[in-house]
Amino acid sequence: MGEVILQMKLIDKSFPGVHALDHVDFSLKRGEVHALMGENGAGKSTLMKVLTGIYTKDSGSIIFEGKEVEFHNTHHAQEAGIVIVHQELNMIGDLTVAQNIFIGREFKKGFMIDDRKMIEESKKLFNELHIDIDPRARMSDLTVGKQQMCEIAKAISHKAKVIIFDEPSAALTEKEIEDLFAIIRDLRKQNLGIIYISHRMDEIKVITDRVTVMRDGSYVGTLITNDCTKEDIINMMVGRVIYEEPKTHSMVPKDAPVVLKVEHLNAGKMVQDVSFELRKGEILGFSGLMGAGRTETARALFGADPKQGGSIYINGEKVTINSPEDAVRHGIGYLSEDRKRFGIVVQKTITENSTLAALENYMAGLFINKSAEKDVTVRYIRELDTKTPGPEQLVVNLSGGNQQKVVIAKWLVRNCDILIFDEPTRGIDVGAKNEIYKLMNRLASEGKSIIMISSEMTEILRMSDRIIVMCEGRKTGEIAIEEATQEAIMDKATRDIK
Amino acid sequence: MTKKKMVISQEVIVAIVLVALYLIFRLISSDFGKYTTFLSMMDISYYYVLMAIGVAFPLITGGVDLSIGTGMICYALAGGYLIRAYHCPTGLAILISVLFGVLIGLANGVLISVMGLPPFLATLCTCMITRGLGSVVTGSFAVPWPTAKQENGWFHSIFKITLENKTKLPLGLIWIILLMLIMQFVLAHTRFGRYTIAIGSNKEAAILSGINVKLYHVLVYVVSGLFAGLAAIAYAAVIKTVQPGTGAGMELDAIGGAIVGGVSASGGYGTIYGTVIGAYVIIFLKQGLPYIGFNANMQQIITGFVLIGAVTIDIIKRKVIK
Amino acid sequence: MNKKVLAMMMGAVMAAGLVSAPAFAAENLSDTTEGIAQFEGLTADDAYDFQIVVKSFQSTYWQAALQGMDQAAEELGVTYSAQGPASESDIADQVNMLNSAINGKPAGVGLAACDTSSVLESLQTAVDAGVPIVAFDTGIEGAPEGSVVCTVVTDNTAAGQVAAENLYEAVKDQIGDEPVRIGEINQDNYALNIQQRGLGFINKLIELAAEDGYTVSVEGNEFYVDAAEGAVEGDADIILEVRVPAQTTVDLCSTEAGTILDKEDTIAVFGSNQTAAEGLLVANDNREVLGDTVVGVGFDAGTSIKAAVEDGTFLGAVTQSPLMMGYYCIYALTAAANGQELIDVPTDGYWYNAENMDDESIAPNLYD
Repeated sequence: MGEVILQMKLIDKSFPGVHALDHVDFSLKRGEVHALMGENGAGKSTLMKVLTGIYTKDSGSIIFEGKEVEFHNTHHAQEAGIVIVHQELNMIGDLTVAQNIFIGREFKKGFMIDDRKMIEESKKLFNELHIDIDPRARMSDLTVGKQQMCEIAKAISHKAKVIIFDEPSAALTEKEIEDLFAIIRDLRKQNLGIIYISHRMDEIKVITDRVTVMRDGSYVGTLITNDCTKEDIINMMVGRVIYEEPKTHSMVPKDAPVVLKVEHLNAGKMVQDVSFELRKGEILGFSGLMGAGRTETARALFGADPKQGGSIYINGEKVTINSPEDAVRHGIGYLSEDRKRFGIVVQKTITENSTLAALENYMAGLFINKSAEKDVTVRYIRELDTKTPGPEQLVVNLSGGNQQKVVIAKWLVRNCDILIFDEPTRGIDVGAKNEIYKLMNRLASEGKSIIMISSEMTEILRMSDRIIVMCEGRKTGEIAIEEATQEAIMDKATRDIK
Repeated sequence: MTKKKMVISQEVIVAIVLVALYLIFRLISSDFGKYTTFLSMMDISYYYVLMAIGVAFPLITGGVDLSIGTGMICYALAGGYLIRAYHCPTGLAILISVLFGVLIGLANGVLISVMGLPPFLATLCTCMITRGLGSVVTGSFAVPWPTAKQENGWFHSIFKITLENKTKLPLGLIWIILLMLIMQFVLAHTRFGRYTIAIGSNKEAAILSGINVKLYHVLVYVVSGLFAGLAAIAYAAVIKTVQPGTGAGMELDAIGGAIVGGVSASGGYGTIYGTVIGAYVIIFLKQGLPYIGFNANMQQIITGFVLIGAVTIDIIKRKVIK
Repeated sequence: MNKKVLAMMMGAVMAAGLVSAPAFAAENLSDTTEGIAQFEGLTADDAYDFQIVVKSFQSTYWQAALQGMDQAAEELGVTYSAQGPASESDIADQVNMLNSAINGKPAGVGLAACDTSSVLESLQTAVDAGVPIVAFDTGIEGAPEGSVVCTVVTDNTAAGQVAAENLYEAVKDQIGDEPVRIGEINQDNYALNIQQRGLGFINKLIELAAEDGYTVSVEGNEFYVDAAEGAVEGDADIILEVRVPAQTTVDLCSTEAGTILDKEDTIAVFGSNQTAAEGLLVANDNREVLGDTVVGVGFDAGTSIKAAVEDGTFLGAVTQSPLMMGYYCIYALTAAANGQELIDVPTDGYWYNAENMDDESIAPNLYD
């Protein structure tokens, strides 16, 4: 590790009604990988946005290479050598790889863009990074992992001195994460300063040198990664100790009836001949890498995507599900991984969202029976312990965890006995995660059956009674929780990948 | 790479459709094959094709420009009025007409890019404004441009020249082809073109790449306005008398042409040569169907179905690629 | 562009195709002479002052109307003052002007309404205030009982007949040996004035041909084919081909005109309004047959059409007479102020050609 390249001192930033950053300090040295951690809403992203000129700070100072700087937009920051690799990929799908890498600073021959030179430069860049991507390929034809590599290559090509990785591994396979780490180590060797934002504790331990933790917009502290434990970091993040142990045995009674049976389900390339059973009161974990076909299986089961074949039995009876409407009628509820797009209407109240899927039960003639609607909403706010001033609160004003509870309430109101949770805790902070877990356990113990799709190994191991592993559209394994280990799951999850 | 193959075939398909249409119409109606019919068809095509080339840019950004039809009439009215009422030299009037188009395009761009209005809404407003403005400028009165025989009617020869043996040549076609090549080059090989695609494909990413998206987004509508201005000159040369209150609906033919020619209705993809070919498909339908005896209502219905077909191809194409 | 926008676009494209169902059957207006006869020997009982509200001032069409009014006012010894909005689309402005005109309790108000439905409320005020209204240029459908005492508008049927008479006279020598084709371009088949003109032309032509012993078959647009009277099916001496474009634009009219001009047996074509006549001229630009092998007849005025009449491309054209409408508007107002019961006054269409277009009685009607 070299001398300090970047120092942020007493950075303060407020938005109307929110004190987003409260005099935060942060410093980065050359040749180090510095993790920035904190729950959602802790202020990590805001801090990085202040650094890269997307937000203007209210007070405080940024010293970069010994000089005080203030960037007014990302372009400024890029030119100075500070670049960010975003969590959401910021690639332009309709352009080629080379065009993406050099967008905003194309080589030109007179009026004309010099595409040939851009391709050559991209090749050079990829060679340096040991990445094998054709610069002429269309960006949208690449896998998520490769797109991420392009994003990194783009960042590096800016003659970057500081690179910020914002949850880079969220969408990557194990293999791709390894490649990413190799690149990061390489960059570290070249004496760049690297800021690494991630929620994945195991990655932090593997790749970073120091960890800075933020909580509620404030700086909590900085640790040397090798000298601390996972628990130390988590404690700093949440300010309390939380339970993270895996489940040791199934909670489902041996004689619990099968409520859902899926046989030979086929839907497109991503769902090939998938069969499984779900018992009453069971939490069935679906594990696998990104793109294994878990969400697609759920969507096909739910009738959201067309099926090419397969039979579905509910309580032993064969049913036809061609649309979400059919699924809901048969008591299946689906909690999408992307709540804002599919799960809830954020600009509406909790009440309106809660009864959205079951409105026909709350009608008095042509009109909505407001009082019945309110009663049921209040009941579920209480039962699910949703933190809100009242049922008329707009969902947009709730935290991620409480939004998730509203979605759960929506399906419970509809009397769904089978609930599909797709990444139930994505975007939810550690404290609220725990509550969602408790709630899921309670629902299962009350006799609801749950399919839980999750990319987090700890979540799978902690919640599931049984685990189905998928890889490239096929079911590659079924593991009882008693025998489940990370290694066993990983082995099956990568079985088909050549 | 598979996409690329597919894309080429999309434009090739439209080109084949165009040739097939011509042959079918010719087969059914011998009059359709006459040179004079071809000349008339070319005359009328110029302003639609010019509008289509211009509107392709907003379409590729995922937007739309509904003001080009009434705009074109408004600019033509303004130019013609200057000549008539103020004896303005034709060249200057043409320049002012085109600049008027650029100005309205700029207004669209500012409304959309800077003030954040949805393109549909912003250009619908300017569509109404230009429609009314044309009437106000001329006092609701049809404005004749100088005829070819008049001294200041030289601009007609931009689009059509008569040789000594009385043969007429559709010179405008050459300008159309030239402009098509230039704008295709602009789209494929300049920053402006690349950023047009970038905005349509992923605007957020374009902003985060440090591109001055606001500026380029404005320019896209300026180009659309510029071509509506050029179309105004072609309209004046062919139709001669410009009537206020007309023009609404013409933008749909131009937009329809661009979409038939493979410009993605959701933005991010399109070519200018495809746009021009697509626009000619619409023009061939409008001009050819009367020759084979389809009445007014059938013409509209068929054109509507062709558009549905084109958009469906676009949607399927997007799905397959995904 | 999102899907909604597209849906709207498609909707618009298709809706435009559906509106052209015939809404009205043609009806003949009363003969023009009867309307004019009621003013014979008219004198003003008093030095009346009238208010006139026109659609706008800026076009020469309205200048011509005012010229007719001046003439009548002088003859009758009455006065009037005229006002009008800046453009024909400033409907609200015109309604305001109309209201203030009525509030001034003049002896009568002459009105050319920009938008007939918007003035209905004002007309009720006029009834209550006892101010008689004379509608000119544009009839007002659904006017309150007792408000509009007289309507002075062009007799479109007669105008179409005038076109037929002149056109037939010019081509009748070519009829008889081989079947010949005469074309008619109507910009639509749902507006009452266009329907009347189109059918006035068709039926007059059939009548004239029959007098010479020729038969006529009518082809093309279903509305006009069905409404034509006295046509034969199948082989005939004259094929009368009626074409209507998909939209009322000059370029589509020109396409329809082109299909007729391209036919070898075509001897004459009539464009029944300014748009249709201009479309005919645009189609002729490349073919150059009008005034040579094909007789062309236009309607209304405007620079292109006037130039075509002047240089012989068109045999002539029929113009409405804003001058006469203005003239009879003042006569009707005076008679109404005198307390006379009135019938409507249809005014003639005027035939003009290269010879008479500069005449004093014609020229003022030929706006640019």
